[in-house]
Amino acid sequence: MPALLLVQEGEFTPFSINTGLIFWTIVVFGVLLALLWRFGWPAILKSVEEREHRIQQQLDEAERARAEAARLLEEHKRTIATAKADAQEIVAKAKALADKERETLLAKARQEYDQLLERARLEIGAEKEKAIVALRREAVDLSIAAASKLLEAQLDSETNRKLVMQYLAQLEAGRAR
Amino acid sequence: MMQGPDIGKAIFEHTSDSHVVELPFGLGEWHLPTGWRLVGVDVSPTKHVVFMIVAALLVFLTIWYAGRQVARRHREGKAPHGFGAAVEAMVLFVRNDVAIANIGHGGEKFAPYILTLFFFILYCNLLGLLPWGATPTGNLAVTGALALTAFVTIEVSGFRALGPRGYLKTIVFVPPGMSGVGAVAMALIMTPIEIIGKIVKPFALTLRLFANMTAGHFVILALLGLIFIFGSWLVAAGSVAFVTFMMLLELLVAFLQAYIFALLTSVFIGMMQHAH
Repeated sequence: MPALLLVQEGEFTPFSINTGLIFWTIVVFGVLLALLWRFGWPAILKSVEEREHRIQQQLDEAERARAEAARLLEEHKRTIATAKADAQEIVAKAKALADKERETLLAKARQEYDQLLERARLEIGAEKEKAIVALRREAVDLSIAAASKLLEAQLDSETNRKLVMQYLAQLEAGRAR
Repeated sequence: MMQGPDIGKAIFEHTSDSHVVELPFGLGEWHLPTGWRLVGVDVSPTKHVVFMIVAALLVFLTIWYAGRQVARRHREGKAPHGFGAAVEAMVLFVRNDVAIANIGHGGEKFAPYILTLFFFILYCNLLGLLPWGATPTGNLAVTGALALTAFVTIEVSGFRALGPRGYLKTIVFVPPGMSGVGAVAMALIMTPIEIIGKIVKPFALTLRLFANMTAGHFVILALLGLIFIFGSWLVAAGSVAFVTFMMLLELLVAFLQAYIFALLTSVFIGMMQHAH
């Protein structure tokens, strides 16, 4: 065993422990550690930490922007819904107004028509009265004319008087019908 | 029967440390200076020292270049890209999912140490897979020294987090609710166990990394050695197929062991930080 572990000068085996090598390892590793501690790791780690910070910041910003967008969308949706309701209300109001307007117009038209009809009727009645009066006067004139003719022929005939009266009665009856 | 070459000796020579570095493409050998001494200890550079320095240089260049790239892209306000993004992904994984996840609150302080540990071990592991390469992490002295840094980090951080009284409790353990003779007896029984527990952790780290790196090389070299023992093309075809598979497995193990070393160190630091 000692033959395997202890090193004579210039003689090595894979299992030998060389005290000088322990010293060298500590020196080389120590120097490397010091150099990297000063010049190596900070360069990488600082950049990484700053990048992590920046990415986190951007993520937060994106989250804020997303929330803002959602809020705006909600607001727009609300606005659109209100506008729709408003529009519907306006249309309904207009419809109701139009219906009412039509009703009044119709009523007015009917009323005017009725008035017109009434007036026409009145005028027709008046005209008829006028025509009857005229006809009557004409009949009297004709009768008088006929009577004059008869008077010329037989002035005092009883029969003739009867005839005239009959004639007049006939006329009266015709008018009544 | 044909006398085969001494494959065992070749394997040992290949995986052990040496004072000679083989230069690639037959450029010869680089004989390292010997006889350096520091307070009575032989500190002559060896092959594994050279490859450790190469690994450390590559790690530093990788992280430095990636850091520059990432910082530039960041200044331009662009997403990370290419090499920088790849290194950044690994760095972030080790930092967040290995160091901070296992150490818990305050893990950021240890992240540079855990990251350096991970990348250094990873590059050392990978260097051994290159032709003419050597695996510093396949050497007990190297893994032991790395585990020693882990041990010191675990204990010092524990002492600082728990304070002298709290730290002493992690050594002299008395179950809550016990007093008098029972407490003394428990302390006497538990204290050696707690001390052994503290030492076993880095010891396990040492052996696990060393054994994993060395074993893979042993298997690959043994499979290649079969070719020279049998001297047959048929065996060569089979061996090469197995070695290719083993190489891919080694690639996985290189990442896996670096990850496990960093993970367990983090877990041990976390256990000390939150010991009660």
